[in-house]
Amino acid sequence: MNTELIIPLLAAAIQSGTPILYATLGEILTEKSGVLNLGVEGMMITGALAAFVTAQATGQPMLAFLAAGLIGAAIGAIHAIVCLWFLGNQVVSGLALTIFGIGLANYLGTPLIGQTAPGFDKLALPLIHRLPVLGPVLFQQDVLVYVAILLVPSLWFFLDKCRWGLNLRAVGEHPEAAAAAGISVLRYRWIGILGGGCLAGFGGAYLSLAYTHLWTNGLSAGRGWIAVALVIFAFWRPERALLGAYLFGGVMAFQLRLQAVGTHLPSSLLLMLPYLLTVAVLVFSSWKSRQADAPAALGVNMEPND
Amino acid sequence: MFKLSAYKRQAPRPWSACLIFLAAVALSLGVSALMLKLQGKPALEGLQLLFQGALGSRWSIEDCLIKAIPIFLCSLGVAIAFRLQIWNIGAEGQFALGAIGATWAALTFPDQPGYILLPLMAFMAFMGGGLWGLIPALLKLRMRANEIIVTLMLNYIAILLLDYLVYGRWKDPSSFGFPMTRTFSANAIVPKIGTTELNWGIVLCLVSGLVMWVFFRFTRMGFELKVSGENLNATRYAGLPYEKLVCFVMLFSGALAGWAGFIEASATINRLQPSIMVGYGYTAIVVAWLARLNPLTIGIASFLLAALRVGVENLQLEMQVPAAFGGIMEGLILLTVLAGSYFNEFGFRFRRPS
Amino acid sequence: MRRRIVMVLCCLVMILSAAPAMAKDFQVGFIYVSPIGDAGWSYAHDQGRLFIDKMDGVSTSYVEAVPEGPDSERVMLNMARKNYDLIFATSFGYMDPMLKVAQKFPKTTFMHCSGFKTAANMGNYFGRIYQARYLSGMVAGAMTKSNTLGYVAAFPIPEVIRGINAFTLGAQAVNPEVQVRVVWTKTWYDPATEKEAAKSLLDVGADVIAQHQDSPGPQEAAQEKGVYSIGYNSDMSAFAPKSHLCAPIWNWGPFYKEIVDAVRNGTFEAKPYWYGMEHGIVDLSPMSAMVPADVQKTVLAQKEAIKSGQMKVFTGPVKDQAGTVRIPAGKTAEDGELLGMNYFVQGVIGTTE
Repeated sequence: MNTELIIPLLAAAIQSGTPILYATLGEILTEKSGVLNLGVEGMMITGALAAFVTAQATGQPMLAFLAAGLIGAAIGAIHAIVCLWFLGNQVVSGLALTIFGIGLANYLGTPLIGQTAPGFDKLALPLIHRLPVLGPVLFQQDVLVYVAILLVPSLWFFLDKCRWGLNLRAVGEHPEAAAAAGISVLRYRWIGILGGGCLAGFGGAYLSLAYTHLWTNGLSAGRGWIAVALVIFAFWRPERALLGAYLFGGVMAFQLRLQAVGTHLPSSLLLMLPYLLTVAVLVFSSWKSRQADAPAALGVNMEPND
Repeated sequence: MFKLSAYKRQAPRPWSACLIFLAAVALSLGVSALMLKLQGKPALEGLQLLFQGALGSRWSIEDCLIKAIPIFLCSLGVAIAFRLQIWNIGAEGQFALGAIGATWAALTFPDQPGYILLPLMAFMAFMGGGLWGLIPALLKLRMRANEIIVTLMLNYIAILLLDYLVYGRWKDPSSFGFPMTRTFSANAIVPKIGTTELNWGIVLCLVSGLVMWVFFRFTRMGFELKVSGENLNATRYAGLPYEKLVCFVMLFSGALAGWAGFIEASATINRLQPSIMVGYGYTAIVVAWLARLNPLTIGIASFLLAALRVGVENLQLEMQVPAAFGGIMEGLILLTVLAGSYFNEFGFRFRRPS
Repeated sequence: MRRRIVMVLCCLVMILSAAPAMAKDFQVGFIYVSPIGDAGWSYAHDQGRLFIDKMDGVSTSYVEAVPEGPDSERVMLNMARKNYDLIFATSFGYMDPMLKVAQKFPKTTFMHCSGFKTAANMGNYFGRIYQARYLSGMVAGAMTKSNTLGYVAAFPIPEVIRGINAFTLGAQAVNPEVQVRVVWTKTWYDPATEKEAAKSLLDVGADVIAQHQDSPGPQEAAQEKGVYSIGYNSDMSAFAPKSHLCAPIWNWGPFYKEIVDAVRNGTFEAKPYWYGMEHGIVDLSPMSAMVPADVQKTVLAQKEAIKSGQMKVFTGPVKDQAGTVRIPAGKTAEDGELLGMNYFVQGVIGTTE
């Protein structure tokens, strides 16, 4: 692999990692509020379908992108209702939503396979796109990549510096204490879940609007689950999520390029790389993580008291 | 003004669980019928086709039972893990490893008589699935790695491992290059029962279910498991061997799913090929949860979910409904039961605000 | 206890309310391995089904996305029990299940696509799409400037390998320096992965992209980079008008009509059917205007030669990647060799695993 292949690989890593980045940021938001959301995969794929359908119907990719966020949040609302109102087990509810979401998207989307929709094309940022190396890698991507990158500092600011974000984190760490201090646990968990669902939907939209302009059953192909793993890798911090998502995107793009260059390794083994890496990264991160990283009340429902 | 408030019941009422389950299923059916309607298909006829396809004849019930066997075994395994609050999402991968183990035995010793070969295959399937369950357990205990993600990733890895083997060294030379192993010798095939299409795997199910029930009801370790599942902190205080329990549970959880893989490969398909993976591992999670982790209800729920799959196929044939319809119903049923169990645990009363 | 009684009651109610289905046209059933909307393999078969659906006295039905294995056996059993007259199974993995069902229902006729087993009431069929791939290879070889062609391949099975080889031989016929690089995606329809695979081929210098999958993902990648592409299964020019040159396509309709007529007349023979361009079962889609007129003429001339039987694609000398001669000079490969092809010809860069 020589150097002229590295630059396209890095560019491809960013494109491949962007949907994962959206979903990871969303899951960080949700988990910081104390709710575990395993329905990310279902939210991503329904978001992808919603974006595709809206783009076909209106011809406006930006509108389609927002529609995906709306639908992702709607699926998230189901999770919120089941877990926050009905105190359903968060793990099982998330899994059920993944099964339901995938089924729903595949069912409604089957007639749309083989069609195309207007989406986003590459947008070269003026002047800086001519920079060597960084230019083609970072500044000749489509709008949604830039939005995702901008979301990282935004989320950091929200969680670290903004009053609402701090309340949300309090709810995730000590819900009883937060409630005693007058912070509404339900309200912030709703924000966390809806926000997370919306971002997961955005990630799905990227797949059907920018990464390709197509739809298929199973478009998300497990990226939602990788996002859940990456949250742990990122120690629940948005800036590390950026690193993780692009790393994963890179591995997924890398194994295809290895074949193109002409390797003798069987493709089944190469295809395992992203998943092996996820496990390795997860194990390493969990081993190294300090207890203080995870929100203390993650996954535990608050019971109503009289 | 009166305020509606919820209180936790001391003990959930037994009959309410059944009612809630039925109400949830009815609600899911209703929503599914509505979806059919929205797609322009006759809703009532659709539901009829669903039931008729699954339960309308002797052979369809047999088909449901055959399909229920792997679902039951996987669900039993998943339920054991869930009892200890270990979220084993890896039944799919453990199923694959079990099939791989059994295939290895079948391909290496095709000429051994059935009464040696079949138990060997079962043993290898047990080892394969058990290993795949033990890995996440050890990672959880030693490295505090979240088992949900590890088991899930191992699913993908297992499927690719299966691909690697059937595309490579295990490929049948007479299959014109298609990815499948040789057909198993007659000794390696789990025989059918009498003149029916059912195979002896169903006996394996009954025995496993019985053993599990006895284990949880009457043995000390079963008791420790049940208690640990309900309160993890109390476990440590009480000095119960949590680590040993985790390993034990995941080993058997994976092994049961591995047996499901063995039965599918041996009895149903008679060889190993990539299309053996049809998502039983994920359905198992739905079944285990719906059945509240109890072997008897797991049996009933497995049958019902197998019937759902079979019925949806009929729906496809007669009304050209897309294949994904089954997934919607499965997810809906789980969601409604989950939400509904709230009413089981909590009652309502009107209170005068203080 | 109560729960069980209720559940059994529910089941009984449902069984009793079931109504039997009746039909008495000539019933033809199709079973597909993927959804028909994939604009690819199953879509092409479904177009064939729609063709015969229009015939008098014929009614058709299908089940899509049926996994190979016991599910397919059940679907076929279901069709046979409902007294379907003719069943088409369109994927290799349906072969053994279909054989089992055929043995139980001697009155029904079974046709299996891309397999090799037959029975008294079961034949198999396929099409020589490699002929069209050869022609598409000629187009690619003529249009490439970098002499590197990229092939996004699906699964390492003989029909895909055969297609890649035919494509390479066609390209080498007009441009002996050409090389074909292969990337396996292990998918039949995953636009994201397939597009990424195409991009990786573009990054190593390919300037014509061909594919074996059913999604237009690779076409999109080629258009974005401003290079050429070859489609598959159907004319994909709608997805990539600026890059799509041509596509090998299937045309099952007339073949299905032939079989339906044969079964109805009682003249059906249960044997392997492997028709090619001469029967119109495979074809090359119309070439885009970007292909120069002289190239088009050469390709079309070669097409006529293939149709008339004058020219056979796999005629020696053909060497594999290691240089060993696999088809000696002057000889044509037998069907058996073609059906089990597991090596790449010289000029292909990639593994067959």
